[in-house]
Amino acid sequence: MSNQPNQDELLKELESMKYDEWLPAESKLVKVCLGLGIVLIVILVFISRTFFQ
Amino acid sequence: MEEKKKGILNEDWLAFWLASVLVLVSLFAFAGIDLLGWAIKVEEWIDFSKALGPAGKAYKGVISGGASLVITYVVLTVLLSIGIALLGGNVKRFIIGFFFVYWLSIVCWIAGHYAYFAATDPSKYNIPWSLKLTGEGGFIFALILGLIVGNLFPGFANSLNEALRAEFYIKTAIGIMGAILGLKAASALGMASVILFNGFCAIIVAYLIFWGLVYYMARRWFKFNREWAAPLASGISICGVSAAIATGGAIRARPVVPIMVSSLVVIFAVVELIILPFLAREFLWQEPMVAGAWMGLTVKTDGGAFASGAIVDALIRGKTEALTGIKYEPGWIFLAAATTKLFIDIFISIWAFVLAYVWCAMIECKPGERVSWAEIWNRFPKFVLAYALSFVLFLIISAPHAPKVQSVENKMKLVEAKIKLLEKEANATTDLAVKEKIMKEIESQKAQVNSLKAEIKDSADIVNKLRTATAGLDALRLIFFLVTFFAIGAITNFKKLWAEGLGKLAVVYFVALFGFIIWIGLLIAYLFFHGLKPPVIQ
Repeated sequence: MSNQPNQDELLKELESMKYDEWLPAESKLVKVCLGLGIVLIVILVFISRTFFQ
Repeated sequence: MEEKKKGILNEDWLAFWLASVLVLVSLFAFAGIDLLGWAIKVEEWIDFSKALGPAGKAYKGVISGGASLVITYVVLTVLLSIGIALLGGNVKRFIIGFFFVYWLSIVCWIAGHYAYFAATDPSKYNIPWSLKLTGEGGFIFALILGLIVGNLFPGFANSLNEALRAEFYIKTAIGIMGAILGLKAASALGMASVILFNGFCAIIVAYLIFWGLVYYMARRWFKFNREWAAPLASGISICGVSAAIATGGAIRARPVVPIMVSSLVVIFAVVELIILPFLAREFLWQEPMVAGAWMGLTVKTDGGAFASGAIVDALIRGKTEALTGIKYEPGWIFLAAATTKLFIDIFISIWAFVLAYVWCAMIECKPGERVSWAEIWNRFPKFVLAYALSFVLFLIISAPHAPKVQSVENKMKLVEAKIKLLEKEANATTDLAVKEKIMKEIESQKAQVNSLKAEIKDSADIVNKLRTATAGLDALRLIFFLVTFFAIGAITNFKKLWAEGLGKLAVVYFVALFGFIIWIGLLIAYLFFHGLKPPVIQ
């Protein structure tokens, strides 16, 4: 509610935004997030079904 | 997350202290004094004279409903004005604003309890139909009225600004809620531990999958740079405003970035709040705990998530009762929403720390940047401590007694029902011998009830004191929820969605949220919560 940026500031910010090159480290970060997420789903659902039903 | 301080406290700490003080004050019930029982309680009504009354038994017949309404207003105004002074806010503007916020919200709350809107069993009131929204429909009315005020009367909404503190109200309500849920959890410890564990698991998985997907999408498809993509990913995928600001801080983005993301988060959370609970009522009423967890996982502000948890709790209980006659105990569906949301809040600080470390180690380390463990504590949402402490306190006090009392109360209900049947039989028969036999059986059943009562006398005494303590707390919690709904509506200005420049952000947000966050959230909630049902009252 407070601290809202005004329209000019908003436009300036978005216009001045330049695309950064996609780094291999970012690929790695996204892959680790998704991979770990999927592996953990399997493990945690197993634990949940086995010990917490 | 820690926000900037103008006064002695920030909103997070103020919510912690206010909730903690109210919970401690409620414990005077153990000295036989109900210090919060004056709080207003609204019942379903067809005759308005029966709508209002004080929450505490000790106050019933002593003060009228109207007096209770005014006392609640005065006490809250005084307490919150002290709070606003501690925040460094404008107390005079708050008092004027809160007058409108409170009374307009209360009108909605009372209207929401009108039997034609609320009753799950219209025949109870001799009326032909009802919307079956339960009394919590009043929350929806408050939200709608808030949206009307915020969008059609922006000047008036602006004058209420100081009192439109949705996040503060909901954080205080959640702190108080800890005590109520602690008592509830004690009578079903197994269920409570399952919800806690599954909620914890669900958010770990959701954090990783949501964040990775949204970050990839913002960077690769929508060509945002890293400074924008990371706060955007956190804002859309994790916990809206707090996560966007925490992530912005962690990767050293300029303040304008998370602020702009936050303004979108608030608007979309209201859209979710209006749509998702009703979707859940239609399609998930047979999986109530999945519905609760889904709200916690997908609605991206504290206010929005807890509010949608409360609505979905009411809507699903109402529908289940209307269709099957099964009456779920209130609060358990909300507990699933609250648990997932609270874990999300707790993990924001850890996630911000992890991101800060990853950014500095792998992506770009800005000059002078150091990653400190202290950041975890700095960004930790302090109101969660009030919730955790009051939950544990009430759980510890009630755990040795509540299950025993619950079990005996259930038995007593059965015996009492049997006595009623026997009495009907006795009245119907003319055969004296049969009547005498039935009367003997009734006496025997009554003796059984008395023996059961004696068996749990001490435990029942403690549980009754806790119920007295939580009755006043629950009434105040509902008022805090109510003003949250109104405030959320009043601070949401949909025109911002059409503001030039926000379009690209809004598109990313829309695609991510409705394209996969909501559906993956539903899948995760289903995997961890399906098959779980709240305890049944009857």
